[in-house]
Amino acid sequence: MAEIGNYLEGDVAEDVRHQLEHHLSHCQTCTVLVDSSRKTLKIVTDTGSFDLPEATFKPIAERIMARIRSGEIK
Amino acid sequence: MSYFGEVDLGSSFQPFTTCREQFGFVPKLFRAQTLLPRLIEAEGALISAILFTDKALARIQKECILLVLAAAQANDYCFSLHYQTLKLLGITEQRLDRIVADYPRADLSPTTAALLTLVLNLGTKQAIQEASSQGLSDESIFEAILTAGLSRFLCTLAADIGAVPDFAVRATLSEQSTIMRDANPGGPFLQAPELPEDYAPFVFLGEQFGTVPKVFHAQGLRPDVLEAQVYAIRSLLLPEDALSRAQKHDILRDGADLEELRGRGFTEAQLLEAVVTASFAGFFDILQTGLGTESHFVAKKGSKKVHLSPPEPRHTAATLSIDPDADTVARVQKGDLDAFEELMIRHNQRVYRTLVSILGNPDDARDAMQDTFLKAFQHMGGFEGRSKFSTWLVSIATNTGIQRLRERRPMESLDESGPDDEGFRPRQIQAWTDDPEQLYSQAEMRSLIENGVMKLPVKYRMVLMLRDIEQLPIEEAASALGLGIPAIKARLLRGRLMLREALAPHFIPSERKGNAQGVTN
Repeated sequence: MAEIGNYLEGDVAEDVRHQLEHHLSHCQTCTVLVDSSRKTLKIVTDTGSFDLPEATFKPIAERIMARIRSGEIK
Repeated sequence: MSYFGEVDLGSSFQPFTTCREQFGFVPKLFRAQTLLPRLIEAEGALISAILFTDKALARIQKECILLVLAAAQANDYCFSLHYQTLKLLGITEQRLDRIVADYPRADLSPTTAALLTLVLNLGTKQAIQEASSQGLSDESIFEAILTAGLSRFLCTLAADIGAVPDFAVRATLSEQSTIMRDANPGGPFLQAPELPEDYAPFVFLGEQFGTVPKVFHAQGLRPDVLEAQVYAIRSLLLPEDALSRAQKHDILRDGADLEELRGRGFTEAQLLEAVVTASFAGFFDILQTGLGTESHFVAKKGSKKVHLSPPEPRHTAATLSIDPDADTVARVQKGDLDAFEELMIRHNQRVYRTLVSILGNPDDARDAMQDTFLKAFQHMGGFEGRSKFSTWLVSIATNTGIQRLRERRPMESLDESGPDDEGFRPRQIQAWTDDPEQLYSQAEMRSLIENGVMKLPVKYRMVLMLRDIEQLPIEEAASALGLGIPAIKARLLRGRLMLREALAPHFIPSERKGNAQGVTN
């Protein structure tokens, strides 16, 4: 299982990659698992989730800078 | 005296006080490590637990093992140290010379002779069985293996530090190692009481290595020594004042080419830490071999000595790449408050995502942002650029978030497996549609992912957020969260598989959905 994680990261030795790909060529379950994990990863990285809108951050930043500039925080 | 410079640690430095009590002086081997006193403390804990604490074996028996193994490794430094110590314990030079030359005919007690035979032939179950048949208890056998590990540790350290012997060496030594290494040892060779999975040292080791290496499970006979090892690993791995944690994990797993590190401009303190890390790998390598457990640590045999040039500016491999924030950080450190605002604007998304992954809701995350940035500002003077500024900031956000979580839910542990993840196995094994991103609008997709991520246990959510959503390099995410690389990889894989499971019902083509199992909403 750990090797599948490394395979998704593109971080496996050549011989391990060959062994995994040989296994995937005849194992439908692992093929689905790898393919859908890869798609999950792509969706997660493409979508830009958990954005903090600039309008939300602005007052937070102003409060922080006000405390710093007042000398309260050193 | 050695390749490393000596710093005065004062007369009350505890490990040196212990050395004076136990050896009568402070060996040069330890005085050569004063650049990083925490390393001496880590080694002191290990040596005290194994050598200075009398349980099944007496000190004199352990010193005999250390003497004979130093001779077998042709290590002048350790040979002279243990020879001198045995003299202080009352053994004559004539008798010591006989033990080194031909211990079976040195009139040793049958027990001590059996111990020496064992440590010179580690690596097979047969060696353990023969020791048992000579009347050695499991406890004695285990202590002998620990002492052999300590010998490898001290000899590697002495060779790589280049320590000159404290006393003249009387014998000409030649290397004669008979340790057997089997790729599939089939151990553990010794029965040991099982310690619970939630035993605190195991929880720490799991965090650092992804799983608890088998060599630790096999040490239930001496939990005190196991705890000393974990203390030493903690003192070695966690501080990043010399090498980064990722670099030390690499050395434990793959060994170190000290010449190469020197060529890359590593400082004296960094090279010293590399030497000590490799020596710890040697210790665990002997334990793995002696106990017949799966190999996790690698000791490079015959590693090269470090020949040092004068100290160079401090940097590590991880920070050789330029920190894009370095100039702005320098401006803040000179008192430019606008520069701090620039850093906040540049990194607010990263801090927010870190906090939301820990606290699990946007309101708390926004609230904790203020604490995070204020703490960062207060500590800017102490930021020395050993990690990237962004990594440092994320680690402050992580600590702030965890502290708040603990205040809110003091009973919740971030480290223990929850009931929902202990037995986790992928259940959704139906093929997904070819292009899932076409099925939903951007806003719908974001909502699906945010819901899925928020349902993950916090320890997986934190890792997935930093690595996959914030897209930090794995080394930086590990550093910010205080985890080892293997641990972060294990959590990342589990988090991704759990998220995949939560998303699957939305991406399996509709004609197949009727058969989908374990659908989450």
